[in-house]
Order: sequence, then structure tokens, then C-alpha cells
Amino acid sequence: MRYTGPLGRMSLPRRKARLSAAAVATAMILAACGGNSSDNAGGDSDGKAAGPTAPATIPALTNDPATLSFIWFEWPAAQALEDFANAEYSKVRPNVTVEVNTVPNANWHDAMFTQFAARKTDFDIAILDSQHIGEAVTNGNILDITDFIKSNIETAAYDPYLLAAYGQYPQAETGQRDENASMYGLPLLGDTWTMIYRKDLIGDTPPATWDEMIATAKKCQDDNPGVNGLAFHQSNGSDAAAVTYNTVNGVYGGTIWNSKDRKIDGVINDAAGQKAMDVLVNQMKPLTAKGSGNWFIDEVNAAVAQGKACIAFQWIAASGGLLDPAQSTLGTSKEEILDKLGFATLPTQETNLVPLGGMGMHISAYVSPAQQAEALNFMKWFEQADVQKKWAAAGGVPSRTDALKSPEFLDGPPFNQVYADSVARQRDMWNVPEYAKLIDIENTNVNAALNGAADPRTALDTIAKDQQAVLDSSGGGL
Amino acid sequence: MSSTTTPPAQASAPPPAPGRTTRLGDRKLAVTFISPALLLLLFMSIFPLLWALYLSFTDYSVTRDKPAKFVGLQNYVDILTSSQVHQRTLTTLAYVVGAVLLQTVLGFGIAYLISRRRRGQGVLTTLFLVPMMLSPVVVGLFWKFMFDAQFGVVNSMLGSLGLEPVEWLTRMPNALISLIVVDTWQWTPFIMLIALAGLTAVPNYLYEAASIDRASEWFRFRHITFPLVWPLLLIAVMFRAIEAFRLFDLVYILTNGGPGVSTETLSFHVYKVAFLGFNTGTASAYGILMVLVVLVMAQFYLRYLTKLKEK
Repeated sequence: MRYTGPLGRMSLPRRKARLSAAAVATAMILAACGGNSSDNAGGDSDGKAAGPTAPATIPALTNDPATLSFIWFEWPAAQALEDFANAEYSKVRPNVTVEVNTVPNANWHDAMFTQFAARKTDFDIAILDSQHIGEAVTNGNILDITDFIKSNIETAAYDPYLLAAYGQYPQAETGQRDENASMYGLPLLGDTWTMIYRKDLIGDTPPATWDEMIATAKKCQDDNPGVNGLAFHQSNGSDAAAVTYNTVNGVYGGTIWNSKDRKIDGVINDAAGQKAMDVLVNQMKPLTAKGSGNWFIDEVNAAVAQGKACIAFQWIAASGGLLDPAQSTLGTSKEEILDKLGFATLPTQETNLVPLGGMGMHISAYVSPAQQAEALNFMKWFEQADVQKKWAAAGGVPSRTDALKSPEFLDGPPFNQVYADSVARQRDMWNVPEYAKLIDIENTNVNAALNGAADPRTALDTIAKDQQAVLDSSGGGL
Repeated sequence: MSSTTTPPAQASAPPPAPGRTTRLGDRKLAVTFISPALLLLLFMSIFPLLWALYLSFTDYSVTRDKPAKFVGLQNYVDILTSSQVHQRTLTTLAYVVGAVLLQTVLGFGIAYLISRRRRGQGVLTTLFLVPMMLSPVVVGLFWKFMFDAQFGVVNSMLGSLGLEPVEWLTRMPNALISLIVVDTWQWTPFIMLIALAGLTAVPNYLYEAASIDRASEWFRFRHITFPLVWPLLLIAVMFRAIEAFRLFDLVYILTNGGPGVSTETLSFHVYKVAFLGFNTGTASAYGILMVLVVLVMAQFYLRYLTKLKEK
């Protein structure tokens, strides 16, 4: 073989040096061309809210066939929304098909925010948890719809806290809406916890206080071998264990942070916080099934449906399946099941607080103006009084007060009344850009305490210290 | 007399086409053939690696719309001095040692037993290889059901033996042991396959000679089988150790790092840093450090292997 060129003549170190230099140069050129882009939809260097603003009036809509895409996590409400929207929205916009794309709950945050990070989304409307709003707003990922809401939405028709919880940023510190704050979303689905109890085992009257609830569960467990006293969320995924602790914390008079001073250490682990952790780990946990330390929505539902729990706590929006005879061993009809299952608002103790669940609709800043216009139109349509009532009749949990008081809602499943009674009692978590890290710290530490991997007091102090460090570093580092 | 005249060869060759380019030289041809693969390598592997290296010296976050700020070695210092990272390192180490050790013993044992069979070797080998063909996510999901404390088949079997149910995935050290068991179930066949290749390559005449000398079974194993298979086994161990070191999928599916963070491995922690906090700079430094650890360990290991070969 002959070489016409100088192949193989270059000395090895020289070739290596040239190759390295070329690679580094390529990387640097690409680095200079890539990252740090300021060509996205918004956001400023101060990390303050700076997303693009939606117009006050809805721009002209296309009559061409179009698809309006949502992103949510996989659960019955997602299918209900898609069915409802395609049945009803098509009456006003026959050229539009609604798609609700779902991901597993554990991937929900990542699925949305990795697309936001790429400044390109395959969804027009992100269904964000209320706590995700801060992160999305700070990064300029969603539209500011303050002007749109002022011109198109009857804000007086809502409980102000629900509007604040699902759309406002910065978060309403007192639970009241700040009329001057910017709005980034509108309610899609309201939700809170319901207490599910076995009427056939503990009687028709649900326990009124948290202490009474624990005593009742213990007696029920002792009296009914094979049935556990309690079933609740304990998993270290999503926000499962954290919501459980925060709920008990609230009921026993604790607070999870001082939002004004951004103070967590010394707040969440104060005397009330310690009492809540003690109640959760030492009084409630022993009444749960063995191996329930990784239970979340599905597992709690399974325990209730199989008759294995005297009292359970569950999100209302995830409770529908409990009344399905095909999924239950408690009866062969809905009526038979309801003879055995009762749904009630959470017991009170020092306070009557309940956790805020549910989600709002938020428009991606990275889709075309035409898609954003369609999304605005959908939101305006969805928030109308008659549509909210139809949504209630279709199994959704509306947020308008008139819809919450309507027969379409209250004559539905028994947990609908529970939601209506709980609205004024709801408390949310931190709605800050560092939410994902804060929730992970709390989830893992509460889960560790529940499963014997950490002493409860130590776990609580670790939560306080680590969460404070995250807030102080604005989410940077490990 | 007849004479034939052969036309000169030059006359039969067609003249070069006017304007035709000169033939590609060997070097240009080589470059032409290699460049697609080289470009692919450059953009799919080299560039991301260099990009990650660059980001590792910055405070860049892919979601926060701020320009990357050079922070020097701060990310590396933070990682190396973090108690969280130390804890995950110990967990990963315990997992790697436990899983690879168990897989090596079992894999070699199974391979040894199969190699002694005269019939059905192929069928047995194929059957043992089935777990390796499955996706780790699928494996994780069905083991999660099997390990379920309430209705899992494992506890059901324990119950039928009169034993108490065990909280496999929610208590320590059970959760870590469960991860090791599942990984062992899936990857023992890999070690077995390589060990089997080594065992079948041992020359028969050595055993024949040992038989003539009336050598015991243990003597044959100790002085013939094991020394000849050992270098090949070590290569399998290296591959498995590298794989185990970057374990993510099984942890994600089976325990999600729990209880608490007890089964969080380094890879799982990197995922959280990268996608929960979106601290891209820190996550890049974390990833680079993990690559460095693997490279350094592999170097030491390969040197040992080379020495072993020289002996």
C-alpha cells in the first residue's frame, strides 16, 4: 500500500496536540454560539418574573384544523379533561382537537421543565402544580396573563384564594389574593384531601379531631384483625410524604416557613412541628400496613378498595375509582360501597387547615402566537359559569364559587361536598423557584423517619437546616 | 508462415477523458471514509464531554436565564467536601461490591456446573441468558411487585413457610439487599457467559494429564481451571463494576432512593442535582468526577491484568 499523502508522518504527540486543540476550539466555538442564550421568551438576570405578556384581548383565531396540547400526569382526571374538552369545546371550536398528554407522576415536573429548558415545548398549556409557578415564572417559561384575566375573567366569581393559589406570583402570603400581583394561570382542577372512613367498622359519624381519629383507627385495627387502622401517603416520590407531614403540621398548629423572612430553620421544627412529627411517626405510622412506607395514591386506593384500612387520606380528585364496583371488594354496586365508605373533611386539632391540591392552566411561552391565542380562548371558555358546571358534572372539580355550589357538583360523589366545605381551610406550600429541591428534602427526610431510617427529631432538624440552605443559596449547588 | 501482430497495450487503453479529475489518493480516501464516523463521534461524544467539562467550571443552570459565570473549581470542591456525596459514595460502594461479588461467585459457579454437563449445555446457557435480555425498567417493575410487602410473591412464599413478612423495599438494609438481588438476577448471566467461554477454552490435555497423575477434583480446579479462567473473569468483573457504579434505573424504579436517601447511588444523586435543582454546572462537575473515578480505577485494574498476563 502506498501513501500519497503525509499520513502517518506526523509524530504522535504533535497529532494529539492538534487533535486536542481542534476539539477544544470546536467546543469553545459551539459554547460561544450555544448556551447563555438570551433569545428565549423572557426572564431577566435578577431572576424576577419576566415572562412574556399575553394580550388583553384574544387575537384572531384560525379556522384551520388545529390541536391544542396539554401536559399533565397520568391519572383519571387527565382522561376526564380530554374527553370533556373534546366533547364540549368542539361545540364552539369544531376545528380544534384537544390532546392531554400524560407522563408518570414522578416525571411530571421533569417532563415540563426540561422542555422549558430547551425553550421549545410540545405542549401549549402546562398544567402546573401550584408550587411550580414560581420556578416557571422566574425562568420566563409561561405567559403573564394579568391583562387577559382583567378583560376576560369574572374574578369575583371565585374564592380569591383559589385564584391566587393557581395563578398568582409571588404567592399570596396570607392565603388572600393580592390584587396587584401578576397572574400566570387560571384554575383547572381544585383538590384537597378527604378522610375516607369505614362506616361499617367505626360508625357513621367521622372522628372530629385528629387525636380522636387516631384513637378510632387504633380501636378499629384492634377490633378487626387483618384491617389496618390507617392508610396515607408515605412515599419519597413526588410530594407524597411531604404533603402528609405538612398536613399534620398544619393541623397541630405548625407552620412550614416564614415566607416574609424566607425563614424555615426554627419555624418548621418548632414545638408544633416536633409534635406533628411525633404524632405522624409514633402514633399514626404504627397503625399502617407493614411495608406501606412507599405508598402513594394508587396504593392507598387499593388498600381502601380491598377493605384493608379503617381510615384513609386521599386526594379528592383521585378518589373516584373507590366507588367503582369493578375495582372494589366492598360491594357489587356503588350504593353498596357507599354503605361502607364515608367521606369527610379532615379532622381538626389546633387548627382546621387542610392541604391545597389541584392545578392551574399555564400557557407555554415557547409556542406560536396562534397556539397561544387558542390556549387563551380555551381558558376563557373553560372559566365560564355554565362550562364550569358541565366540568363538575363530568367529574371535574371546578373553582368558581357558583359551580361549587351548583347541583351539578354537590349532587355528584360524596367527596364533592367535602371539597366545597374545605375550600376556605386550604393551605399551600412554598411557591418559590426552589420548590423542587425543597420538596425533595422534605419528602426524603419524612420518608426516612416513617421507615426507621432516621430519628424523627433528627429528620425534622435536617429538613429545616437543608431547606434553609437551599433558600439561602437560591437553589444553587448540591 | 503467418505472423500475428499484437497491438501495443498502450494503444488499447482508452485515453483519459478530458477534464477528468485525478484519482483520490489513499490518504484522501481514508479521510473520506473515516470522517462521517469521526464527525459523529465528535458531535455525539467528544463535544458533549467537552461541553460538560466547560460547564463544570461555571454556575450555569439550564433553566435559569442567567449567563454562566466562571466559578473555577468551586463545583468540584463542593462535591468532594459534601457529606451528601460521601453518603452516596458509601452506598454506591456497598452496592458495587455486594452485587459484583455475588454475581461473580454465582456466575462462575453456574458456568462451572454447565461446563461439566455433556448434554443440554446450549439450552441451559440460553435459558440463563434470558434475564439479561430484559430492560432494567421492566425487571425493576416486576421485582417491585414481587417484593411488595402486602401482596408480593416473595412474602407470600415466606408466609407459607411460617415466616414473618419482610419489608423488602422500605427498610434498611433490606432495600439495598433487594437492589443487589435484582441486579444479580439480571446480570449474573453476563459473568456466567464469559466464565463459560473461559472454561471451554481450557485445553483438555491438562485435565487428561491431571487424571493420569490421579489429581483430585479440587486439585484440578485449584491448579488448572481457576488460574486459566481467572484473567477472563477479571475482565467480566471490570465491566460489571463499571456498570454497577453507574446504576440508576433499578434504584429509580424499585426504591426511588429510599427509605429516605438510603439507597441513593451517585448516578441517582446526579440526576436529582441535574433535574430537580437544574444546577447544570454542579451536575456536570459531578458527572466528570464520576468519569474520572471510573477511568482511574479502570487504569489500575488494567495494569493488574497486564501484570497477570505477563506472569
